[in-house]
Amino acid sequence: MTCDHLSRLLALYAVCCAMCAPSIVQGARDFERKASMLLKAEPDNPKCFAEGMKDLTCFWEEDEERAGSVDQYSFTYTYQNENSSGCPLRVVPAAGGKRLFVCHLNKTRMFVQMDIRVHREGVLIHNRSLLIDLVFLLDPPANVTVRTTGQQGQLNVSWLPPPLKYMDDSMMYEVIYIPADSHIGRVEVAQACSELILRGLQSGTKYRVQVRVKLDGISYNGYWSAWSDPVFIETLPAELDPLILSLTLIISFIFILLCLTMLLSHQRFLIKKIWPVIPTPDSKFQGLFTVYGGDFQEWLGQTYGGLLLTPAFIYSEECPSSLEVLSELSLCPTLSSPPLPPKASKALTAFRKDDKGLRKALDDREMVDRADSTLTDGWRPAPHDHWLMDRLRAFQQHPIPSSQSSLLESQDAYVTLNANNHSEDEHLDDVLEEALPLEVFFNSRKTALCESHSDLGSVQQSSGSGRLSSQSSFEYPNHTLMPKGPGYTYMMVADSGVSMDYSPMSRVEDIGKVVIYANDYKNEILPLRRPFLVRQYPINDDG
Amino acid sequence: MGNRRTYGPNREDPVRGYADTAMEFPRLLALLLIVLEWTRPGLPSPLRPICDLRVLNHFIKEARDAEVAMKSCREGCALLEAVTVPQTTVDFDVWEKKNEQTHEVQTGLWLLQQALSLLRTSVTNTALHSHIDNTIRNLLSINGVLRSLNIQEYTPPATTVGLEGTWRASSATDLLQVYVNFLRGKVRLLLLDAQACQQDVS
Repeated sequence: MTCDHLSRLLALYAVCCAMCAPSIVQGARDFERKASMLLKAEPDNPKCFAEGMKDLTCFWEEDEERAGSVDQYSFTYTYQNENSSGCPLRVVPAAGGKRLFVCHLNKTRMFVQMDIRVHREGVLIHNRSLLIDLVFLLDPPANVTVRTTGQQGQLNVSWLPPPLKYMDDSMMYEVIYIPADSHIGRVEVAQACSELILRGLQSGTKYRVQVRVKLDGISYNGYWSAWSDPVFIETLPAELDPLILSLTLIISFIFILLCLTMLLSHQRFLIKKIWPVIPTPDSKFQGLFTVYGGDFQEWLGQTYGGLLLTPAFIYSEECPSSLEVLSELSLCPTLSSPPLPPKASKALTAFRKDDKGLRKALDDREMVDRADSTLTDGWRPAPHDHWLMDRLRAFQQHPIPSSQSSLLESQDAYVTLNANNHSEDEHLDDVLEEALPLEVFFNSRKTALCESHSDLGSVQQSSGSGRLSSQSSFEYPNHTLMPKGPGYTYMMVADSGVSMDYSPMSRVEDIGKVVIYANDYKNEILPLRRPFLVRQYPINDDG
Repeated sequence: MGNRRTYGPNREDPVRGYADTAMEFPRLLALLLIVLEWTRPGLPSPLRPICDLRVLNHFIKEARDAEVAMKSCREGCALLEAVTVPQTTVDFDVWEKKNEQTHEVQTGLWLLQQALSLLRTSVTNTALHSHIDNTIRNLLSINGVLRSLNIQEYTPPATTVGLEGTWRASSATDLLQVYVNFLRGKVRLLLLDAQACQQDVS
């Protein structure tokens, strides 16, 4: 029985030791840590600290070699106006070959002065007066919890304050938070509260948070406790503030609207600057590019007709050419006047208006000498065409001396165009190139009087307006009208005088209304609306 | 204008004008109200409990300043005679079981009040006079704080001799030290445990 009891007791004792061992070890570890802290913080000996409301721990340090046994030392303390008391010492080995002599009291009095004396073998080695309520060294705060708040860059730190009655409002806490990748931390102080919100933290960063406590020093005082165990936490990642995002969107939207409004209001100006209009000749040539695809020849042909256009070019580059009025051709058989002088003193443009004019010219032989354009009394109808042609043929075959007035000069006024550069058979195109107006080219050698007759006939068949037959002459370049020398090109016109009426509608009947022009004629070419329209011819006085 | 008096033709008697007569009644009424206000039966208005200990902290700081100033004093700062001061020792186990905490604190404050008055007369150093005056003022304020906590009125004892829980202080420094410790200890604990403040907090 006894053995069983003993064995049970032993077992129980072992279990209790095993259970208590960790707490003892922990207690020892705590003391060692506090002792080391105090050794640095407190210069006086013995170093004393209170962990609670009723305890006090004092110790001092001595080297191993010089330290004696614990019995040699005595620790006495005396409260004010009271008797002194002693404290049992114990030795605790410390690092670095040191020894700690520790005195621990479980019952203390506060707010009263305490005198401590340490004797070693009767010799006072340490002396100190203190108030216990001013030497608190608390344990670090427990249950330090760090969590994120709902906002960016914030952390909520909370802890459990030391369980000391009457001292809750005297506690002062210090929170340190260090980014995990840095060594520089920031400290926040909290007074008499067990919770603190850290602000201004970086987003998405891992932080290490620690807390320590100290009494505020007004009613109680003490030393800073050790730092609590670190707590690692990561702050919320950076995110766009919805308010800022919405404001940014609104402002950018308004800005875009303003830009668009500006662009639209200055649309034309900008387009002109960016895409300047390249001028094209489309507007001038209607239908050239759209219908004919740029084919200029076709467009010319369709728009104006080749013939119509060409005289314009001819006439636009006209150069004055001298006219020679030879003489009036006298168609009267009795006439034997010499042919027209090579060059008349005054050239005159004679126009055969119509068949009537021709007849009249034949009848009136006095008109030969009239170089100037004078109004004739009237046109008398010319003799028949055939008769005229016969006369011409005869003249050609039998050249009349120049002194004699020829049949030609009696009635008709011949117009010779002194075209030096041109010869017979000039085509229209050549004329175009030469740009000489009214070039009448007849080969004197040619005796196509019949054709000329037809030519005249064609002239007669004209509208009767008395236009010059130069056009027709152009078309029939091989006609020869002038039977004179080979050097001259002649054009026979039937005219009894000089008629200056170039209007398209003028007729023989209207001779009386013909406007008399002065001497100077200008070889102007009218815009070609109608063929055979010749207005004026420059008169070069070669004589 | 109403008080202008017009004098008669002979300058003998001031002729009372119409304004003077009209103001008679309001004057009497005002006087009556003032008198009644003075003689009103004085029921003190209930004070709001001062539970914020920052007031006490302020007193403690000023007391500590006075103690430091007294320590650096060399001349003219001696107590003429020993004074009775309250004990400042606080044993929490004992303190919590006490029932006469209020009385103890009130007695101590009264004792300190007496001692500081004596110190005021003893100290000749004019630099310390302000500290001591401040200290005395603070003591009176603490009495007012206690009063606000609905603590019963304290009737001082007839004599200080033989009082329990007292000490004798012979120097000004000791006196001020006791004063500081008393404030930090017992007075503070009393205010912390005050019933009126407990109700507010809870």
